[in-house]
Amino acid sequence: MMSFEHCVRCTLCVENCPVFKVNPAFPGPKQSGPDAQRFRLDGEKSVDEWVKLCCQCKRCEVACPYGVNVSEIILKAQVKYSSEHFSPFAAHLFANTHELGRLGSIAAPITNFLTSASFVQGTMRLLGLSTHLPMPEYRFLSLARGRRKKGRFKSPRKVVFFHGCYLNYNRPDIGRGIRDLLAYLGCRVAMPPQTCCGLPALGNGDIDMARRYAQKNAQRLVEYIDKGYSVLYACTSCGLTLVHDYPEVFEIPEGRKIAENTYNLHEFILEAIEDGSISMDFGEVNRRIAYHIPCHLRALGIGYPAARLFEKIPGLTFEILEDDCCGLAGSYGFKKKNQQTSVNLGVIAAAAITSLPVDAFASDCGACKMQLGHFTGLPAFDPSEIVIESLANRSKKKAVRKRRMP
Amino acid sequence: MSVYEYDAVIIGGGASGLTASLYLSSRGYKTALISKGDPVCCLSTGGIDVLNGSDSPFDLLAHLPEDHPYSLVGREALIEALSFFMEIMGHAGLPYVGEPGKNRQIITPIGTTKSTGLVPCTMADADLAEDGHLHVVSFKGIKDFYPSYITSRIKNSAFSVFDAKVATTLGIAARFEDDAFLDAFISWLHDLEIPHDRVALPAVLGIRDPVSVMEKISSATGRQVFEIPTLPPSIPGLRLFRALKRLLQAKGGHLYWGREVSSFESQAGRIEAVTLSTTGRPSRVEGKVFILSTGSFVSGGLFASRDWIRETVFGLPVFVPGERKDWFNTDFFAAGHAIEKAGIEVDGTFRPKLTKMDNLFACGSILAHSEILKYQCGHGLAISTGMAAAKMCEGMLS
Repeated sequence: MMSFEHCVRCTLCVENCPVFKVNPAFPGPKQSGPDAQRFRLDGEKSVDEWVKLCCQCKRCEVACPYGVNVSEIILKAQVKYSSEHFSPFAAHLFANTHELGRLGSIAAPITNFLTSASFVQGTMRLLGLSTHLPMPEYRFLSLARGRRKKGRFKSPRKVVFFHGCYLNYNRPDIGRGIRDLLAYLGCRVAMPPQTCCGLPALGNGDIDMARRYAQKNAQRLVEYIDKGYSVLYACTSCGLTLVHDYPEVFEIPEGRKIAENTYNLHEFILEAIEDGSISMDFGEVNRRIAYHIPCHLRALGIGYPAARLFEKIPGLTFEILEDDCCGLAGSYGFKKKNQQTSVNLGVIAAAAITSLPVDAFASDCGACKMQLGHFTGLPAFDPSEIVIESLANRSKKKAVRKRRMP
Repeated sequence: MSVYEYDAVIIGGGASGLTASLYLSSRGYKTALISKGDPVCCLSTGGIDVLNGSDSPFDLLAHLPEDHPYSLVGREALIEALSFFMEIMGHAGLPYVGEPGKNRQIITPIGTTKSTGLVPCTMADADLAEDGHLHVVSFKGIKDFYPSYITSRIKNSAFSVFDAKVATTLGIAARFEDDAFLDAFISWLHDLEIPHDRVALPAVLGIRDPVSVMEKISSATGRQVFEIPTLPPSIPGLRLFRALKRLLQAKGGHLYWGREVSSFESQAGRIEAVTLSTTGRPSRVEGKVFILSTGSFVSGGLFASRDWIRETVFGLPVFVPGERKDWFNTDFFAAGHAIEKAGIEVDGTFRPKLTKMDNLFACGSILAHSEILKYQCGHGLAISTGMAAAKMCEGMLS
């Protein structure tokens, strides 16, 4: 990584910034990152409150041809600002996504009733929360709490599934699907107790809390890695945190080892197919879908592995959409001060989907699905759901040639 | 280490690498495009400069130095490449207009004209007649776009300023994607009762679908509407890049974006694989053929120290125009500093000279003797050499 001094001010990062595009109050990644960095001093209190308007999509960093760590510079400025100033209630609340999920899940019916009740929504707005989207519903039978199935141990592959908070508390059905898929493919699947990856705490400016979460996970994950397990993630933001932030931002001693042994779910399946340790027979899926690429999948730099699985599914037509951020960006869009930015971006990203002849869309990220499901009114799938549907349909498989959109 | 296998691996995601990847993937080859970041094509006007300085770029071809890459491409292949480009941009919903053998004029933000070959259809009507007849619309607070500069140079012209409540080109372009904003703009424009035949705006007519925004304004006002390219961030450049990238993915090409090649493996005169590094596992991308399209100094394909120049991916031998004292002209604004000649010299098959790599090809602005600023041939050179190198690859793959 290059430092801010390598910035040549070409504005390629600015062209890619979703927030700059719709919110004139944010001066953009070039100014908030490398430009302002020249004036930030360790001993001096930060005055750049607007730096918190960055949603950490990392698009600037992916775009930068000079290798400047634009979003990391901004992230560190955000953390510095937050540590020196009073943090609003919403930031504290969302930093604790994991605890929020735990409580929300235990009292699921009550939580879901309350967050959708209008008198509570009024209070939420007073507390600085946005109500443009319904709050994610919590499920009582979380993924971690559910009964564990054992794999068939056909394959020598052993995996730890790092499910993250969203699949655990909000969509355990998808999590169970993935666990069963891996077991079906003959993997030994472990789901040891795990906590939040740490990103929500980091995104809300509490790096100490984030590091505590990360250390807890790191300890457990390394135990498994040492026993020959690979770590798998399906949530691409958890994935980016494990692979990038654990070694680089939290500076966890075992971070490098974790980063090297962590796989995207679909990346893992593809590799296992290619090296012959898993064989998959794809059945027909008659759908036309848009595949909205989450910003953090782009930032992982592993290409789009789920799309490569989609290519193998007969009957499935899909188009990759990677140029728009959905605008929710985790808890970013759930804050009242970011509501307008989030809505504007949601509308733009949704228009990209609805301009295509599709009847659903897929995305790896829970936040993208919530936001774009709301703005497109289309069914939202996790890519694993499409893969599972294909496997379920394999008996009905017909000789249908793979189609692509023109 | 993750391993990926491809027929063709293209390194460098600019106009040249994208064209090469698109050609190969549309021919059914499994193609990977690796890029360290977004290309300078995003900062361009979106126009395709073929060769400027005369009414026809072809008149100039014969006068180029023998070692210029265009001489390797040849006139027929240049026409074919530009036609291929126009055809694919039509499919991408961003049609280009113009003829390969004819230059046209577009207006710049300071009211001068700039010669170029092909232009996006949003600039199709920028070629003004002698008597002008132009109404320029600007936006309140917009930077580096001063309509009075333009009207002072063009006969029968005037300007008006619209308040979009945002002042950046990107911000205004995003607003044009909102139908309510577009309607408000159109009704404002309608009320002006413009006497001029044409309306020009800075290039901000939406990002995703500028053609329908332009057509709406045009049909509502009964005037020809065109865009004037702005300084970076440049929306027409961004559209061009995104259209090519989207098309490549629709053809089945795979992108590895934001990844840098950290090393390569070669055996018996062939490149076997390149390794991409991240904080996670490195990836090994294997290919049967490789194309280097990493660009020149600005894009990072070449790196110059005080007295040497290095090619940054494979360490290929670089043509260096003499000693450092000879690299630059003492007149800064003079066309043709010798340093522009630096780059990779290739043979007639677009394989780098002086290397014994049978399956490595180079294209785009990294090619030696291209002197892009002097001849103003950036995108034309990128597209035509990209296609030429891709065809050489095709010959090897089939």
